[in-house]
Amino acid sequence: MSVLQNAAPMNRNNNGNLVDIRDVSFKYSTRTILDNLTLSIPRGKVTAIMGGSGCGKTSLLNLIGGRLRPSQGQVLVDGLNVPDLNIKELYELRKRMGMLFQHGALLTDLSVFENVAFPIREHTRLPEAVLRNVVLMKLQTVGLRGARDLMPWELSGGMARRVALARAIVLEPMMIMYDEPFTGLDPISMGVIAKLIRELNQVLGITSIVVSHDVAEASLISDYAYLLGDGRILGQGTPTELQQSTSPHVRQFMDGLPDGPVPYTYPARNYLDDLLEKGA
Amino acid sequence: MKFLENIGAGVLQSVERLGRAAFFLSEVVGHGWVLVTRFWLVVQQLYSVGVFTLPIVLVSGLFVGMVLGLQLYNTLVKFGAAESLGLVLALSLLRELGPVVTALLFAGRAGSALTAEIGLMKATEQLAGMEMMAVNPVMRVIAPRFLAGVIAMPLLAALFSAIGIFGGQMIGVGLLGVDSGAFWSQMQNGVDFHEDIMNGVIKSVVFGVVVTGIAVFEGYDAVPNSEGVARATNHTVVYSSLAVLGLDFIMTSLMLGEI
Amino acid sequence: MTNRKTVEMWVGVFVVIGLAALVWLAFRVGNLTTTDVANGYHVEARFENIGSLKVRSAVTLAGVRIGRVVQINTDPDSFQAVVTMNIDGRYKNLPTDTSASILTAGLLGEQYIGLEPGGAEEYLKEGSRIKLTQPAMVLEKLIGRVLTMFIDKPADNGKKK
Repeated sequence: MSVLQNAAPMNRNNNGNLVDIRDVSFKYSTRTILDNLTLSIPRGKVTAIMGGSGCGKTSLLNLIGGRLRPSQGQVLVDGLNVPDLNIKELYELRKRMGMLFQHGALLTDLSVFENVAFPIREHTRLPEAVLRNVVLMKLQTVGLRGARDLMPWELSGGMARRVALARAIVLEPMMIMYDEPFTGLDPISMGVIAKLIRELNQVLGITSIVVSHDVAEASLISDYAYLLGDGRILGQGTPTELQQSTSPHVRQFMDGLPDGPVPYTYPARNYLDDLLEKGA
Repeated sequence: MKFLENIGAGVLQSVERLGRAAFFLSEVVGHGWVLVTRFWLVVQQLYSVGVFTLPIVLVSGLFVGMVLGLQLYNTLVKFGAAESLGLVLALSLLRELGPVVTALLFAGRAGSALTAEIGLMKATEQLAGMEMMAVNPVMRVIAPRFLAGVIAMPLLAALFSAIGIFGGQMIGVGLLGVDSGAFWSQMQNGVDFHEDIMNGVIKSVVFGVVVTGIAVFEGYDAVPNSEGVARATNHTVVYSSLAVLGLDFIMTSLMLGEI
Repeated sequence: MTNRKTVEMWVGVFVVIGLAALVWLAFRVGNLTTTDVANGYHVEARFENIGSLKVRSAVTLAGVRIGRVVQINTDPDSFQAVVTMNIDGRYKNLPTDTSASILTAGLLGEQYIGLEPGGAEEYLKEGSRIKLTQPAMVLEKLIGRVLTMFIDKPADNGKKK
């Protein structure tokens, strides 16, 4: 059924992982975001990357996508070390990856149909009739075939993300990265997205990486999860294992506790001293 | 002491920015072949950049021409040289006002729109999204807009000058009684194709490159939030206006060969 | 995005009127003529003083422009100005004893070369040299001549200025 020959990964490595992060460190000016991180994303599964804000989850996605370079370590995608690739090779690799941005990142001057058709038009020479069918099929998958002529500003947040999802799968990539897919959505839309992520993975075998801080939804749909913090892995395991973990970091995150290893109070001087300074 | 440190830091930042701009623009120019390979994209941009700037250019040109007609007549008539009105009007427009005023209008209308559009695309992750879809945003978004600006500027400047001459003629011949024959013949005898018209065209092309280049860079380099985009748009209008006026002086002195 | 047809039409209109404006400016406002680019021949003339004659200045016959000055040099041996002009190919029958004078348009206008045909039987062609020339009128010398006229005359009456 694959008209576009991108789906089959090349199977360059034989350890069952599509993505291998090995000893990766990443700094943003002087701040260390990721510190000697090692994790792997198994083929054909949904893996969640969770953590508080600023823990480097989005940076991780950008490292995998080649938009950022690590200061050390290897970022292996299907056996290829991303930082070593030249521009052409990187672009070829990106054609086999799909990415769903937090707000969809649809092109505002194109209709829903044209947005989904965009990758096909740019990278292939499919005849118009075939292209139309492919686009309609992808829109049907996300349940928005009837919205094909709407413009991006006419869509709700949830609909925009679904269109972006249709666009991300249009070239039938081997993996999809989801950047905060649940954030800012109402419960119904969240349910829709969760259903789609799960279905795409099960039906099409697409490896999925879901970055999220929505513990509940991420736990429902993922096969394995990592909890990041302070630039390293604080906990990992299946959602059930994480729920039962006794580590204080994991517990604070999973239970949503306001104070714990991640402190409530921002570092400040002695309270009494501060007050007395301002007084009299 | 801190004050001097700040100045130094500011200068270093500006230099670094200039370097970034140079690299960026050379990459944009390097994608110039999209004129051939993605012609339709350039045409679309010509529409939003050129066609939409047309009304303000035509109206301004008409008014500038009419005012020039009045002002020049007022002074020329004192020297008994009212019949040279056509010549002086044409020279003022073709050599200076056409290219320069059009460039300033273009910077304000099209330049700021380009910066805002590109900056917004950056802020809403559309450019990043394109990169992740293995489409180079410089090729797909920036280069067509740059080419459209460079192509549109000389056309707009020519239209400005043409309608300005027409406006000046309306006032001079129609209203103030300058002899129509003298108006046109002195103009035709005195306006040189190479020195006046071609130089004007060269100026407008250079202005097109500068204004569009600044507009496109500011958008691409903008801080990706609403305040950043607003600031970038402001930069575009201010920097390109100053650049146009400064380059105008340099080019004029080179062309007139006086310096 | 507006309809493709509309976009194409308006861009087409824009480019066409822009180019039309350029062409109109070039031919109707400027002095570009189609024959300007065509074939002409070069003729040389030497002057004592060229005044403010410039490259691209006009060369006229009976007041009608038939060519342009293309080059101005000086001859280091004779200390004269050597002016090379391009004459339109249509005017092939200028006698070899044609004279060239540097005239001024109006009172304070730009200077140009005016040709006055002689009566010789042979014609000027590519590379010919015009022998009879009149230099530009330099205003200071003219005033000087007028003043010396006044100074010389009262010498008869014994009255001095």
